[in-house]
Amino acid sequence: MSVFDNPKKNQLLASLPAEEWQRWRPLLEPVDMPLGQILYESGSVLSHVYFPTSSIVSLLYVMEDGASAEIAVAGNEGLVGISLFMGGETTPSRAVVQSAGRGYRLPAKTIKEEFTRTPVLHLLLRYTQALITQMSQTAVCNRHHTLDQQLCRWLLLSLDRLDGNELLMTQELIANMLGVRREGVTEAALQLQTSGLIRYARGRISVLDRPALESRSCECYSVVKKEYDRLLPRFTTS
Amino acid sequence: MYAAHRYDGDPRDNQLLASLPESGWERWRPLLEPVDLKLGQVLCEAHSSPAHLFFPTTAIISLMYRMRDGSTSEIGIVGKDGAVGIALFMGGDATHSQAVVQSPGKAYRLHAHSVISEVSRGGEVLHTLLRYTQALIAQVAQTAVCNRYHSIDQQLSRRLLMGLDRLQSDELLMTQELAANLLGVRREGVTAAATKLQLAGVIRYSRGHISVLDRNRLEQRTCECYSVAKKEYERLLPKRMPLAA
Repeated sequence: MSVFDNPKKNQLLASLPAEEWQRWRPLLEPVDMPLGQILYESGSVLSHVYFPTSSIVSLLYVMEDGASAEIAVAGNEGLVGISLFMGGETTPSRAVVQSAGRGYRLPAKTIKEEFTRTPVLHLLLRYTQALITQMSQTAVCNRHHTLDQQLCRWLLLSLDRLDGNELLMTQELIANMLGVRREGVTEAALQLQTSGLIRYARGRISVLDRPALESRSCECYSVVKKEYDRLLPRFTTS
Repeated sequence: MYAAHRYDGDPRDNQLLASLPESGWERWRPLLEPVDLKLGQVLCEAHSSPAHLFFPTTAIISLMYRMRDGSTSEIGIVGKDGAVGIALFMGGDATHSQAVVQSPGKAYRLHAHSVISEVSRGGEVLHTLLRYTQALIAQVAQTAVCNRYHSIDQQLSRRLLMGLDRLQSDELLMTQELAANLLGVRREGVTAAATKLQLAGVIRYSRGHISVLDRNRLEQRTCECYSVAKKEYERLLPKRMPLAA
């Protein structure tokens, strides 16, 4: 039997008003989210909305030729499945677990009903607004910044969504997420390791010097982080 | 970018307004104020609260991110397909992007107060706005994908098509400099891409301006990103659709 996380490790669940929290608590179903699990496919109707507690989920667009690129990530600060309340039920993107862990989920029907309630509606829309910022910044970053900078941004975004300073991540996975060739990631990771910012061994990346990583990243990281902090002020885990 | 057209001033030339439920439309109709939007006009600065929600009918607005070094990149575009100022109903007051008029024309605007009271009302009008936002999200996401994978040729084709879809005209004019700023690439790159399209007879390019001559072939030359975003929009806002299909 797995030991599940406190649901309030998820920042959105933690910031629900007491009345909402009491109503949601018995409805939240704990789930294991193993690496590579697909939460939804492009064009498929979503059955649940997911609130990660210790996992990270990538929203990817998979092109006709099979190549993929990450559009955004969601972890313990957010949720996966905005199209259930935004409307349309499906999206052109795929949601895949990029860092194994746990989370909670609510059935589609429940989240739609809850979305008619004002405090829930405001919270979920503010989160969606933050997510839009992240997607926009991915577009900007893909255009303007070096692979080194993008790797730093990506590591920082992931780190913010996990406990500790370690990421279980193969270079191949990172290359798929960033939509670049694996050799490029290897080279960029080597540079970061040589500078003493990260240690990379057997699919495990340890961040050794976070401030240095932040200063090597482009502005895209801090722009996104500030928007999340502004729109979703942090609530302490109870 | 300019469009030559006759305009009789129907707010429902904006497809988002046209797809509102009748009750919402009746409520909004007297509140909508027609405005002329000039080239380069900033409808909303980054990090400031929009005073109005704008519904373009003939104008096109770019959502731009301006980097610290001053270079820019377009995140999304809004024309008769949508609305500018989504932070008003999404919450958080402001966005980190700037809304700039990139093709002058008309729009209707609704005061922030009216938008906020519509949100608290909930219901079908809000849901229409959210479905539009979902379509805009697909556009932004596809911009990220396109910026990663596709050639400037493909991106220029995509961007020209997106502009055409939002005009009430078959002709779209754009300076190469503007195209370079929107795509966030160097002007030389746009010149090379435009020259190729001209040699193929798809556009005419003279004195720094690009005009589209053959839309069908432009569609063949663009990447999948164009149709993915367009289909998503059509799926989410089906009423009175054809965006110049």
